[in-house]
Amino acid sequence: MFKKTHPLQSKSEIILRNIVVIAMVIFFTVFLIVPIGIAFAGSFHEWNPLSGTYNFLGLENYKEVFTSGLFGKSMLNTVIFSVVVIIFRVGLGLGIAYAIYSALVKYKSFFRAVYYMPVVTPMVAVAFVWKFMYNPQIGTINQIFGLDINWLMNPKTALLAVMVMTIWKDFGYAVVMYMAGLYSLPADALEAAKVDGANAWQTFRYITLPLLKPMTLFVVITSIISYIQAYVQILIMTEGGPGTATYLASYIIYDEAFVKYNFGYASALSFVLFVITAVFTWLSFRVSGTEE
Amino acid sequence: MRRKISAVVLNVLLLLLGVVTVYPFVWMLSSSFKKNSEIMALEQHLLPQVFTLDNYVNMNAHFNFLRFFLNSLVVTLVVTVLVIYTSTLCGFVLSKYKFRGRNVLFGFVLSTMMIPWCVTIIPKYSMIQSFGWMDSYKALIIPAMFSGFGIFMMKQHISSLPDEILEAARIDGANEFYIFHRIVFPMAKNGISSIAIFQFLWTWEDFLWPYLVINSQEKQLLAVGLKMFNGQYSTDYGALFAATAISIVPVLLIYLFFQKQFIAGIAASAVKG
Repeated sequence: MFKKTHPLQSKSEIILRNIVVIAMVIFFTVFLIVPIGIAFAGSFHEWNPLSGTYNFLGLENYKEVFTSGLFGKSMLNTVIFSVVVIIFRVGLGLGIAYAIYSALVKYKSFFRAVYYMPVVTPMVAVAFVWKFMYNPQIGTINQIFGLDINWLMNPKTALLAVMVMTIWKDFGYAVVMYMAGLYSLPADALEAAKVDGANAWQTFRYITLPLLKPMTLFVVITSIISYIQAYVQILIMTEGGPGTATYLASYIIYDEAFVKYNFGYASALSFVLFVITAVFTWLSFRVSGTEE
Repeated sequence: MRRKISAVVLNVLLLLLGVVTVYPFVWMLSSSFKKNSEIMALEQHLLPQVFTLDNYVNMNAHFNFLRFFLNSLVVTLVVTVLVIYTSTLCGFVLSKYKFRGRNVLFGFVLSTMMIPWCVTIIPKYSMIQSFGWMDSYKALIIPAMFSGFGIFMMKQHISSLPDEILEAARIDGANEFYIFHRIVFPMAKNGISSIAIFQFLWTWEDFLWPYLVINSQEKQLLAVGLKMFNGQYSTDYGALFAATAISIVPVLLIYLFFQKQFIAGIAASAVKG
């Protein structure tokens, strides 16, 4: 790795390259590979830092994961949450991006900038704002719609309320991504469709949409990865409640690890979740028919 | 005519959606200038009927918010600057130098982005304890120095810079350190500004890590402070609105200031990636 690979290479190139490669390898080893190893080992142990326990349990933690009703319930919630939010994110993102992209809309960068605002605001703070908006006493949502619903305390509406907030926060990201995709479409394909007499819908359905497929895949996969890891909005807005209505998979891990200090069990949960993320990512590649 | 109508409809729809997007911010900011009696009143107005700064003044009296704010600002700026530098440097080496193992290394960097936070956070927490870094900003800064996302972004950006410029500088006798700092760095502005905004946001909003590794109140960061404040003064709504506003408005301002380059940067990398 550290030999000259072509004759024009200068000494300073080799020095710089070696510094960078060594620094990266050390950093990612210490803060990524070693922790993954420790967590994997820990997932087979009863591991509690408060009592100082570290006893070998074999597969017990994993058995508990798969027989735990709470984990099952939280996986179901996570799937509902992710599917609904992703559908809205992709749908709104694509629709709005296409609208802004059309010749009918003038202030394109203005709209794009506005929709992107929630994406770049801190989740902790935004979750608080929405918690207040849903508040039955002071909240603006009941006032606007003339309702009397305790959104976050009602098991029927709590998950919905968190999903609406997440859609509001995240759809702008898809808008920006799809706009980038639309502006980089090959002009000749669209031109050819026009020459062949395709109407606007046909052009969208048979030319634009297939060409945007890589972007859709990108948005879906990054969404899956981030929603399986979502917990901050739950922690702030509902703490999993009422009952178990808003338990998401990552929130359980937070709860087990840093509220109950069951490090071993939380590590086992993390690995299960990691495998699930990888499977879903692979599946969405397969479903979309993109071989990579 | 039909075209005109659909243009109007479309623009009105987009504008309405824009109002929905901005409304929570406006409501929060306006509520932070209301008295508690007005926040709790039956009849509500979007704008404060009696404008007051009390919430901002009182908030700091029973909770040192200014301190949290400054702590967050310092830590976030240091991390952001470091990540910008390391990402650009790694992106440069990974995109412009040819060496064995380069693709393996880059593939590895990409795969780091897929690892959920929950897999590594417990061991990292134990490691920080055994390093003796608890309650020190080392724990916040050092484990954040390199970013898989940042390296990926910068590699995408820098690989589109023309090799001829670098070759010309080399022929003029410039060494690689000069080339990186004086040529590559200034030319990677779009990529840098998108990393700047994202990294700033991520460090600013990160709640769990500072909550775990920082124990003393005077060193604590804003996101954790906001949560603690909420637990303790959960009925002083005015102060809560003010505290939340303080944790959002600076980030929004940075975004609005840089948004042009930023959006261009983030979008370009996805198209190429």
